Amino acid sequence: MPQVTPLEASAPWVEVTSTPEDWAAADPALLADMLGQMHLIRAFEELVLQLAREGLVHGPAHSSIGQEGGAVGSVLALGPSDGVNGTHRGHHQFLAKVIAYVSPRLDLEKLVSEDLHVALRRTLAEILGLADGFGKGRGGSMHLQWMEAGALGTNAIVGGGVPLAAGNAWAQKHAGTQDVTVTYFGDGATNIGSVLESMNLTAAWDLPLCFFIENNLYAVSTHVAEVTGEPRLSGRGPGFGIASWRVDGMDPLAVYLAMQQATEHMRAGKGPTVVEAEVYRYFHQNGPFPGSAFGYRSKDEEAAWRERDPIDRVEREMIARGLLDADGAAAVRKQAVDAMAEIAALMVEDDPDGKPGTRRIKPDLWPDPAFVDVGVRGDASELEGLRTEEEATFSGELVETRFIDAVAGVMRRRMETDESVVVLGEDVHRLAGGTNGATKGLKDAFPDRVLGTPISENAFAGLGGGMALDGRFKPVVEFMYPDFLWVAADQIFNQVAKARHMFGGESKVPFVLRSKVATGTGYGSQHSMDPAGIYATSAGLRIVAPATPFDYVGLMNTALRLDDPVVVLEHVDLYTSTGLAPAEDLDYFIELGKAAVRRSGEDLTILTYLSMVQHSLEAVEQTGVDAEVVDLRWLDRASIDWDTIGESVRKTNNVLIVEQGTLGTSYGGWLADEIQRRFFDWLDQPVQRVHGGEASPSISKVLERAAHARTEEVVEGIGRVVEGFGG
Amino acid sequence: MASIIRLPEVMANSTEAAIATWVVDEGGEVAVGDVLAEIETEKAVVEMHAEESGVLAKRLVEPGKVVAVGTPIAVLTASAGEEYDLAALLGDGDGAAQEPEVPSAEAVQAPGSSGSASSGPASSGPAPAEAAEAPRGARVFASPLARKLARENGVPIEALEGSGPGGRIVRRDVERFLAQAPAPAPAAPVPASAPAAPAAVGELVPHTPMRRAIARRLTESKQQVPHFYLVAEPRVDALLELRAQANAGSARRKLSVNDFVLKAVAAAFRAVPEANVAWTEEGMHRFDGVDIAVAVATEDGGLLTPVVRGVDRLSVTEVSAAVADLAGRAREGRLRQEELEGGSTTVSNLGMYGTREFAAILNPPQATILAVGAAVEAPVVVDGHLEVGRTMRCTLSADHRAVDGALAARWLAAFTEAVENPLVALL
Repeated sequence: MPQVTPLEASAPWVEVTSTPEDWAAADPALLADMLGQMHLIRAFEELVLQLAREGLVHGPAHSSIGQEGGAVGSVLALGPSDGVNGTHRGHHQFLAKVIAYVSPRLDLEKLVSEDLHVALRRTLAEILGLADGFGKGRGGSMHLQWMEAGALGTNAIVGGGVPLAAGNAWAQKHAGTQDVTVTYFGDGATNIGSVLESMNLTAAWDLPLCFFIENNLYAVSTHVAEVTGEPRLSGRGPGFGIASWRVDGMDPLAVYLAMQQATEHMRAGKGPTVVEAEVYRYFHQNGPFPGSAFGYRSKDEEAAWRERDPIDRVEREMIARGLLDADGAAAVRKQAVDAMAEIAALMVEDDPDGKPGTRRIKPDLWPDPAFVDVGVRGDASELEGLRTEEEATFSGELVETRFIDAVAGVMRRRMETDESVVVLGEDVHRLAGGTNGATKGLKDAFPDRVLGTPISENAFAGLGGGMALDGRFKPVVEFMYPDFLWVAADQIFNQVAKARHMFGGESKVPFVLRSKVATGTGYGSQHSMDPAGIYATSAGLRIVAPATPFDYVGLMNTALRLDDPVVVLEHVDLYTSTGLAPAEDLDYFIELGKAAVRRSGEDLTILTYLSMVQHSLEAVEQTGVDAEVVDLRWLDRASIDWDTIGESVRKTNNVLIVEQGTLGTSYGGWLADEIQRRFFDWLDQPVQRVHGGEASPSISKVLERAAHARTEEVVEGIGRVVEGFGG
Repeated sequence: MASIIRLPEVMANSTEAAIATWVVDEGGEVAVGDVLAEIETEKAVVEMHAEESGVLAKRLVEPGKVVAVGTPIAVLTASAGEEYDLAALLGDGDGAAQEPEVPSAEAVQAPGSSGSASSGPASSGPAPAEAAEAPRGARVFASPLARKLARENGVPIEALEGSGPGGRIVRRDVERFLAQAPAPAPAAPVPASAPAAPAAVGELVPHTPMRRAIARRLTESKQQVPHFYLVAEPRVDALLELRAQANAGSARRKLSVNDFVLKAVAAAFRAVPEANVAWTEEGMHRFDGVDIAVAVATEDGGLLTPVVRGVDRLSVTEVSAAVADLAGRAREGRLRQEELEGGSTTVSNLGMYGTREFAAILNPPQATILAVGAAVEAPVVVDGHLEVGRTMRCTLSADHRAVDGALAARWLAAFTEAVENPLVALL
């Protein structure tokens, strides 16, 4: 018989319940805030459902009617500089934070101040998709953001906002504040990787993030007990070493008390917390019908929960304490309902073309359709006046430099001059600068700003995204291999790349993603892609692909200065190459959107990037064709250098796009399309391309070589173009 | 049995044309010779006649749409309501290899064309490079750049031989063609991107096909044909006197000065037949009769040169009637294609506008063109005495490849002789 010793989790897991003494002792002003906030939120959501019923809300309206106690109880334990974010069901969290920010103390006699009226109006406008909304109508019900109020943005990807909240918490901590962040999500999101990865990461780094689980028992129609072995979801916390609380979410005071303990824990620097509040949404996932109408729960169950309504509870307790009478309670409700009707009247009117009684959105409130793509990215005005250099005209001393040393060198220089730069990724802090030496020496010089992450790309990429949205720090996130973008796809493509546009087009996202490209290193099908083509599908991302040490320095400096997310591609073949770079000067920039002509030629334009620049130059030498080799440097649709491309195409009339990777994820397809649309009359043959095979490169050295393009394939490609010359 | 009617090659070098009007409605019966449609070519609106009788089952081309020569434009069935398989008729199916019915006017082809204008596939098969030679009149495969260069240089794309993949006409083919031209035409000064409209004032009126043809042909002529010019100033007192007498008589129509000029031109060619020639790469073409093209300005700013046949054999009255008929129909756009073809020379007369003297650009492949000014009173020295006579300055432009100076001078002397002795010329 082995000896069995019971183990206990290192972190506490407790349930908090309010007592009659707690209610008796509660600050009357706190209770008034609770009651007022909940009435405002409920009346607001009832209005939204009413408008949804009239067909005036485009898309889903996820109501939280019934579960206001969790959000209100928790937000009242926060201060204005604390942050919150949430999920698709986020009206109540957003409103609680906004109301607390605008009206820190509610007056039940005069519930809606002018400022609050404006905030409520802009919230409803956003939900209706109108120009006056917080996100100019782009975000709608599921993307509510008001950074000033600490409302960091609600999120339509389940669990998607959690890594971003972790980044906000990192920034709060490292800016030296006592502030905390609360990320609200539901029982369904508790099981998704982003959340669990973020629990692990924030616990490892003691970040002040509260994982606030609104356990309303149903993920759409699926009961929590069906999908997890531990339906007491706060039980997740101790497994990660996170102190955890469980509380009755229908009791706002209990939530407040639990949250007070949790915030105290976080403000004391003890790391993240989990607070699980069991709540109940009276309606279905979205829309104005109860869940029982869809058959996944009973009317009896719903009636039993309604008996425990949080508004009724606070009203009863306040009346019992003589803080309110029945008429006073009714008057609070009436003020909220009237205020919402007044706000609605600002936005909807009788529909002159509809049946009697039908209403419509006032036409002049819609955004201008021309606004559709405004603010996908910034206008790059932050680069104005910067000193740009090119290797050919550089006046300082140039010395032969290893590419990888330029990578580490410029980052070291930037971290010296800019304390906001933070490097994070797997093993970036060890192994003498990560797996390739790209961060060599940085950890010793800047121990707090070089972060070796757990193996959880989605969490740490999102954490970087949260830092960028906060704005106090500039994250430089490293992906050890390019194919990991798929692992972090939600954070990179859904969150970081869309954030600016989705929330109205004005928020800066200064985020740099360094991605290694490792084709040809024997790492096989899941590590060998060229990711440029995939990144290029995303409008919000800028992409640079430096091919020389000199360019790396200038392009990285520009990337770090831009207020847009920038992907910096680095090829391992280049790491070990050498080229000229400044002996001293690491402070110059390379102009945004400027390609480099590496060889002038008359007969053929080769458009290429990264390691294929050198392969193309070699191939041109071998074939003797008078080709112009253009190193694109900036690859995304917004930054690519159409002037240089156009000038070359009009001169040579023949185009060969050269890249290394496989066909399916390749970069050149969109470029070929754009070239034929822009320069059709200048083309003497179809745009030709060099790329790898169909399948991802496999491990076998021979098969791997056959799967990607190098000099030999460029020679073949040039041959095809020459055939097209005719003559 | 249904058949396809294709756009005929209505004139040499014409590559495309538009249906100006459909004369026969869908379902309408047609007999051989009936006018099916009016076709607007670069030079004229011509009538297209039915070559078979039947029912016009379907029109395939909308009026106004410019299509390439050889394009199917209609389906003709033997009887009304007859079923037919359009795809098969168009050659998408088994009939793909069938030679389309294109008029056999290919003898008159542009230099260097040798019938290989298109060697791409006839249908949109998946592998153009492997496709067989397409019949003439089918799609021409050319790179966008080659088309642009050809357009800018006035080179008909069909005139080019494609050396690119699958016979595609590419830049080098256009460049080679241009390099072979006797006087390399400098590329038209076309702006790099958008066509630069003249600044601020005025408007840009799109070119008609005729205007483009005039521009192209005359540019080619002036650049590629070595012109030289001789001027004569015959007295026309006798000619005018004769004309006055004729018009005073019972003549059914008023004769013009130009009618007499045409007869004089014919007389000169009869006297100097060596000048009745045209340069071709293969050899000197000698004309048998004297067919004279007459330049006619049309109201829409165009220029047509219908040909009066056998002027040497016609009376001046017949010449006059023929010219009036041709000029009238030219202005109405109703010339037949053959009326625009041939001719050993052209007479261009601006005398009616008071123009004293001018020189004309040759109308290829003709070797001569006579520019006729106004008949005016002028001081004339006769036997040492100055008197007032009436003269008419005439400028002969000649193609030096075909007609040397002395030959041209002899011809011009014969012409002067005929003008000054009109009765002889008319005999």
